[in-house]
Amino acid sequence: MAEVFRSLRLYVLLQRASARGALQYRLNTVIGILSGAIWQGTGFAFIWVVMHTFPSLAGWGLAEIAFLYGLRLTAHALAMIPLMSVNDIQWVVRNGEFDRFLLRPLNPLVQLMGNRMGIAQFGDLLVGVTLLAVAGQNAQISWNAWLIAFCFVAIIGGALIEAAFFLALCSLALRMIDTFALRVFVDDVFSKFGSYPMKIFGGVTEWLLTFVLPVAFVAYIPASVVLGKLDTPLALAAPLLGVVLVALAYLVWRRQLDHYQSVGH
Amino acid sequence: MTRIGFRLALAYRSNIIITCVTLVAQVFLLRMIWTSVYGSRPSAAGLTLDALLAYLTLANLQAFATHTIVAHTIHDRIRTGTVFFDLARPVGYLRQMAGFQIGNTGGGLLLLAPVIPVVLLVGSITVPVNGLGYLVTLALGYVIAVQLALLISLIGFWTMETGAISLFYRLVSQFFAGTMVPLTFFPGALGALAEILPFKYMGYVPAAIYVGHISDVSGPVLVEVGWIVGLGGLLVLTWSRARRRVVIQGG
Repeated sequence: MAEVFRSLRLYVLLQRASARGALQYRLNTVIGILSGAIWQGTGFAFIWVVMHTFPSLAGWGLAEIAFLYGLRLTAHALAMIPLMSVNDIQWVVRNGEFDRFLLRPLNPLVQLMGNRMGIAQFGDLLVGVTLLAVAGQNAQISWNAWLIAFCFVAIIGGALIEAAFFLALCSLALRMIDTFALRVFVDDVFSKFGSYPMKIFGGVTEWLLTFVLPVAFVAYIPASVVLGKLDTPLALAAPLLGVVLVALAYLVWRRQLDHYQSVGH
Repeated sequence: MTRIGFRLALAYRSNIIITCVTLVAQVFLLRMIWTSVYGSRPSAAGLTLDALLAYLTLANLQAFATHTIVAHTIHDRIRTGTVFFDLARPVGYLRQMAGFQIGNTGGGLLLLAPVIPVVLLVGSITVPVNGLGYLVTLALGYVIAVQLALLISLIGFWTMETGAISLFYRLVSQFFAGTMVPLTFFPGALGALAEILPFKYMGYVPAAIYVGHISDVSGPVLVEVGWIVGLGGLLVLTWSRARRRVVIQGG
């Protein structure tokens, strides 16, 4: 346990240093955040335009879809802000830089995560939280303390699901397997399909997105619970899936780490 | 230069393959969303569901085909100072860059070719109502896309940094091109804005002519030619000013 706290403290120190680095280029940071926000903004503008003509998408109104979209986006941002620099693992391994991580007395994953923060993802967070706040008031949800708590847990659970897939795919780079394209694809599926009610896909696709790549568990199932569209006790356990998956992903990472061979510099 | 652009597209195959897979996913998603919102309605805003799906399939293929990388390339070359070599060549700079972009589009299309049947199948396509009008307006729309991209990249001669502007341009142009929603559905002021902007000639106008939603071809063609002449003049003017400001970094 002491080891975990020590890693956490060092991680915070590393991130603080990287934040200070990012703020040296203030304009670039602002533009980075803004472009993230505009990217997501145009994504939601599409839904808004469509639902201007058609008030219902598979029985979901605009405010309800906005809530789902915001839930997904917030979870995504929370997953990617700390993990963004792991995306560079390919280069870190190829340059032999990873060898240095192994020599230092800190978990190499924490060092990798501490390299830099995801900047554009703060823009995602901004749009996500705004959508949640606005939609939460307009979607006729009878809020109570329990429901708010469930929302927080669901966002963290969703973030852990995305983080788990990302981490597991990244860790394959330790054995020189290039998964960059696959990561882009998985991220694309999460962001494209995860922001809509699964019902519209129907049949095989809905099943695949629920049980093979659990996109549905990130936001669709939790949002259905909050909006009173789904009432099975099993759905309440959805956030737990993230915990299980991220634990599995970490095991995968450890296993790949055991097989790491330096490129030799 | 055209050949370099063509080769570059083929060299970065994996990039284009990702784009192709994303394209198929995108078309599938749009089909599902629109099918769901249409429900049992036969048509909305003058478009039947079949026409709309064909429209979306085409518009997304077009968005891929009219996607330009020239701004990114110019940005890179200004930052590293290698723009010097482009300027030293005895061919006009704009012509080189336009040639590069056209070659790159050609390479991209070659790689896209095997995917087209898949996209058409996933998105569902109808026979063209006006095939010739489609091709003419699309070709002119492509010229406008390249001109706008060149114009954006020339800003780099002043600011050195165009990464954010290009990204912003890409997002806004895709949205107003009507790649995901036909312009007919844009409400009020947003619709008026989309009608004025030239982006609709890359997506909405050709695709709407294809499915017969727009029957008058000569009107759009005239406006397109007007845009091309106007942007062409603006480009020459901007370039004559930009070339006096050239800074070679790390020279």
